[in-house]
Amino acid sequence: MRELPRVRYADCNSSEASEETVIAVNIGGVKHVLYGDMLNRYSETRLGQLADRATDCAQDLSALCDDYDSSKREFYFDRDPEAFRCIMELYYCGEIHMKRGICPMCFMREMDFWGIDAEYLDECCTSSLHEVETELAEIAEKVKTILDDLEGDATANRVQRCQVFLWKLMEKPESSLAARVIAIVSFVFVLLSSVVMCVGTIPELQVQNADGHLVEHPTLECIETACIIWFTVEYVLRFISSSNKVHFMFSFMNIVDFLAIMPFYVVLILTHLGTAMMELANVQQAVQALRIMRIARIFKLARHSSGIQTLTYALKSSLKELGLLLMYMGVGIFLFSALGYTMEQSHPETMFTSIPQSFWWAIITMTTVGYGDIYPKTTLGRCNAAVSFLCGVIAIALPIHPIINNFVIFYSKQRVLETAAKHEIELMALRAKEEVQGSPDDGKMAAQRTRASGGNSSGWDSAAVNASHSDTYIPLLGDTAKGSKRQPVHKCKDS
Amino acid sequence: MDKPSAGMSKVGSRSTASLPPEPADIIRSMSCYRRVKLNVGGLPHEVLWRTLDRLPRTRLGKLRDCKTHEALMDICDDYNLDDNEYFFDRHPGAFTSILNFYRTGKLHMMEEMCALSFSQELDYWGVDEIYLESCCQARYHQKKEQMNEELKREADTLKDREGEEFDNTCCSEKKKKLWDLLEKPGSSVAAKILAIISILFIVLSTIALSLNTLPELQDTDEFGQTTDNPQLAHVEAVCIAWFTMEYILRFLSSPNKWKFFKGPLNVIDLLAILPYYVTIFLTESNKSVLQFQNVRRVVQIFRIMRILRILKLARHSTGLQSLGFTLRRSYNELGLLILFLAMGIMIFSSLVFFAEKDEDDTKFKSIPASFWWATITMTTVGYGDIYPKTLLGKIVGGLCCIAGVLVIALPIPIIVNNFSEFYKEQKRQEKAIKRREALERAKRNGSIVSMNVREAFSRGAELLDVVVMDKGERTQDNHLSPSRWKWSSKRATSETSSNRSFNPDQGSPNKATASSPQRLNAQKLEEMYNQMAKTQSQPNLNTKDRCTSRAGHRKDEIELGALPGPGDPLNGGREGVVDMKSLSSIDSYISCATDFQENPRFPYSSAGGLSFPESSRFSHSPGSGLSGRVRANPSLQPTMEHETMLTPPCSGAKPPNTEDLRQQSLLGNAHKMHSVRVNHRNCGETSPLGGPRSDSSILSDHSILSPEVSVYTTASSRTPPKTPEKKGSTGAVFTFHDASISKYIDADTDDEEHLRESGPSDRLLGGLSSKSRLTSAYQGGTNHLEAAQRLLGQNCLFPLGSSPGNAYENHVASENSRRPKGDRGYSSSFDKGL
Repeated sequence: MRELPRVRYADCNSSEASEETVIAVNIGGVKHVLYGDMLNRYSETRLGQLADRATDCAQDLSALCDDYDSSKREFYFDRDPEAFRCIMELYYCGEIHMKRGICPMCFMREMDFWGIDAEYLDECCTSSLHEVETELAEIAEKVKTILDDLEGDATANRVQRCQVFLWKLMEKPESSLAARVIAIVSFVFVLLSSVVMCVGTIPELQVQNADGHLVEHPTLECIETACIIWFTVEYVLRFISSSNKVHFMFSFMNIVDFLAIMPFYVVLILTHLGTAMMELANVQQAVQALRIMRIARIFKLARHSSGIQTLTYALKSSLKELGLLLMYMGVGIFLFSALGYTMEQSHPETMFTSIPQSFWWAIITMTTVGYGDIYPKTTLGRCNAAVSFLCGVIAIALPIHPIINNFVIFYSKQRVLETAAKHEIELMALRAKEEVQGSPDDGKMAAQRTRASGGNSSGWDSAAVNASHSDTYIPLLGDTAKGSKRQPVHKCKDS
Repeated sequence: MDKPSAGMSKVGSRSTASLPPEPADIIRSMSCYRRVKLNVGGLPHEVLWRTLDRLPRTRLGKLRDCKTHEALMDICDDYNLDDNEYFFDRHPGAFTSILNFYRTGKLHMMEEMCALSFSQELDYWGVDEIYLESCCQARYHQKKEQMNEELKREADTLKDREGEEFDNTCCSEKKKKLWDLLEKPGSSVAAKILAIISILFIVLSTIALSLNTLPELQDTDEFGQTTDNPQLAHVEAVCIAWFTMEYILRFLSSPNKWKFFKGPLNVIDLLAILPYYVTIFLTESNKSVLQFQNVRRVVQIFRIMRILRILKLARHSTGLQSLGFTLRRSYNELGLLILFLAMGIMIFSSLVFFAEKDEDDTKFKSIPASFWWATITMTTVGYGDIYPKTLLGKIVGGLCCIAGVLVIALPIPIIVNNFSEFYKEQKRQEKAIKRREALERAKRNGSIVSMNVREAFSRGAELLDVVVMDKGERTQDNHLSPSRWKWSSKRATSETSSNRSFNPDQGSPNKATASSPQRLNAQKLEEMYNQMAKTQSQPNLNTKDRCTSRAGHRKDEIELGALPGPGDPLNGGREGVVDMKSLSSIDSYISCATDFQENPRFPYSSAGGLSFPESSRFSHSPGSGLSGRVRANPSLQPTMEHETMLTPPCSGAKPPNTEDLRQQSLLGNAHKMHSVRVNHRNCGETSPLGGPRSDSSILSDHSILSPEVSVYTTASSRTPPKTPEKKGSTGAVFTFHDASISKYIDADTDDEEHLRESGPSDRLLGGLSSKSRLTSAYQGGTNHLEAAQRLLGQNCLFPLGSSPGNAYENHVASENSRRPKGDRGYSSSFDKGL
């Protein structure tokens, strides 16, 4: 076994070129005959190294290939033969195309094995790879959050444990029955306060105060106060239980919460102290302005509805399209209001008194609302209106499509992600468990096998064996807390 | 097609000749190679032993631990120690992914792979689906759930159809006719006309309802109140009378009154006619002026309810029905839409209220008052009764318009998607139903002798249900499955037969007598095959036919497979019984001939069931076409033989039959064949002179050559041609197959599950008996279940007439065969002739 390659080596030298090197490889049962010069084009790849060292002794080679048949001078690789066919294209054509139907991640693994950089993958195939990668990244993110939730810090002291408990109670409705009840109560309060806000403005339900101003009905005010108290308590508890106060303060939902309760207290302060500092009228104006901010509480609903969260997510990710929409609308409004203004000039009783005034008309026409408070009267103006209507429909419809697309994608992904993350966690737990159980088992097995086959190892080898987790887990691997991360899952599985 | 055959012959060379190798040989062979060749469905793979050892609990992992021939045969379908090659009769495509799992530790799934078939492969190889990587897992589960949903829906519709079955009361015939007339416009011309008349009445009554409110057409009554126009009132009365009659007739003819009462369409019907009667009742009973005002108000309300009759059109329109269904199914998205709108309305109305409230004579008096404005603006209707006047208000208004367009547009595509999906599905189902009805009509006309599709179908549905129920209590005997497997409840596909056969317990009873049911007389088989190949000159012609029929047959074999108790493979199925009616006229021969067309399929299907537990799933796989053809040939034999038995007018006597049966049972004891019943209706009376006949009946080649038989075979020429001399056949049956194939394919998926439910041996015996069951069912016109019961009842009729030599023969070569076991399957039926 040792002799043969050396002889070859000598041969190669004598024929003064490695072009002559012919390498027979057996990839999972499919045999190929490869030429050394071709493989040397990419010498950093596994096959390239093989071609380099084909002449070395067998021991060195065993690191490169899985088995070596000295009689046939055949290198055996325990890999997917079909993927290898695609891999071979690199040597022939200089680029790789993925096998149709194969999972991109799987193919990347093959490329890894053969020591081929991902950049050799042709453009046409990278898009699908990226798609899968982003999906996996999302799943990993989700898994991470779930794991974070599960992480019960055993080292935590009493206060911290209380904090975590409170946090779960307030933020994770699905964690326990009490948390769910709290979520429902909170939802009801949001609805109630919104209704109260609306009903409070109905003139029939208002009462006159001492100054003859109409103010809200006292009972409504009581309800309002109750709601605000609930909101405040909720907010404070959340704040206390949050582990990262700064992060808490600046997250979107908490800003909304804050804005929902803040006006009430400001109004309270102003009415009690403000009169001393400024004019009564000013105070009242300020109070009025702050009232508008009460609307913010409607956004609190978003906390309880995944649909609205999806909407905000979709809108956030399609800001560009929204900008496009506004730009189209802006251009259209300018154009058609100016046109409408000039065309309507001839009419004596024109409703288009100025261009800024006809902006309103343009908006209403382009969005096909058409109140009819302003409408063109001349023929030319009507033609203009018709055109502006058509343009408006198109200007809205075009940029809206990508936004809708985003929304639909997020909407459908939301459900998939959930199951995928759960599956991922189970898979991780399973693998972790197997690792634990497997170690004694493996030992036994290994002994048995070695006796039988003279093989050198059992279990997955180097590349595969960081494999107690799946591909998705790899981004998480970077975490230093790898061990502690896997543990909680394990624990929760056992329990 | 070539590959497997090549593998077959190569492998066969070993298996036919020698005895099973010693365990020592096996161990030596395993230890002296580092690698192993795996031939999966003709595709060769080579893999290191230690790669396989990574998953020791899977099928491939266990391969290494096998020390004996039996253990090896349990795991692989065939092997060749000299070549260090193991053969698995599975789909090669899926195996690539699975082998990669051994190599890399990552289980990925090929994109074009069907999720169901992949899961079956996973089950076979003993790999748990939890190992699927996340990137493929989502796709896998989505597809699987989709499939399961579809299957469930299919089963539901079938059950619905089944529910329409009428009990055997005196007027059931008339009732059924009436029901068809009223409920199935497609069933006859009269029904169609009725449907059209019904639609006309609906349209007429709605028009009358609208015209009634025209002031010019209204009369004034003695109180100065406007009332209906008398002519229109007559029209109304007539319409209502029609509706009432329709409803009552429907109700009377409905097979299940309560279900009828609950049906949404019938509720609509009732709501359409009730208001009229209530109105009449109220006006007649409260003539006194005192209560008149109140009554009038109530009457007005009921008058509005009359408009519900427009919904009656839904009965006649698939589009409306699917609209209703879509709305029901996408209530989530509808809720989202309404939520978005509500939020938008809230926000913008309060904004505009604060912007506009200081204007003089503003119409935005309060937030609730401006709700109306916000709604009209967000939906871009824009009446113009309220509109903002201040600059701030106008800005809010503009934003409101754009936000409204956005918010409404977002959830709608999801709903649209639901709708289009459902609509497509509905269309597909309508077509399927039409096909089914056409098939039934054809059956009624006699152009096809039964297949009893409906029954088979319904049974399939039931079994599916059983499977669905079972899956809950299924134990997790999957080798790698973790103790808590999340999706297990969702897996409608239950344990595969492969898993069972994998399980050593399952095979053991058979092993006690013969080595395994799967291994039969291969030599004989080959012989027969060659013989048949001679007689059969156009195998390719048949292949397609075989394929089409196979789906249908699986059903039959399922029914049969369910019969034997799992515990008595040896005793339960000893006696072979043949159910035959005496055939005294040429007509009956013809019917026999049509039957013949059924018969050939049974051995085929049995073989399919036995040897290719999944071959049905991979009807496209290269091997199946071949094996289909192969099986087609011998299938001819048994039928021929039966015909010969019947040929002499005074024959059909007991002795030959029993003789024959004994031989059958000899075979049967190896693989527990059972449940064929002899039904000597006339034969028993005729003189028992079976002696001479038995020869010809037993030797199938003779029967082919014998003149009488050829006569009868020409009589049976309507069946698809099996042999050259029967070329004169026509397409009657053929077309039937073509028409029905797609349906079978529709139903295919259920069957797989049932197939796999029954162990291989069960299947074999089911297949064997299926022929006779078919004959009994079709000729005697009895239904399958009945036949089955009879079979059970006659279990001990023919207590294993054992001729040891024959039995011996059966088992001698049992382990040699390395042909696809499909062949072995039929050999059992085939040996009867020898």
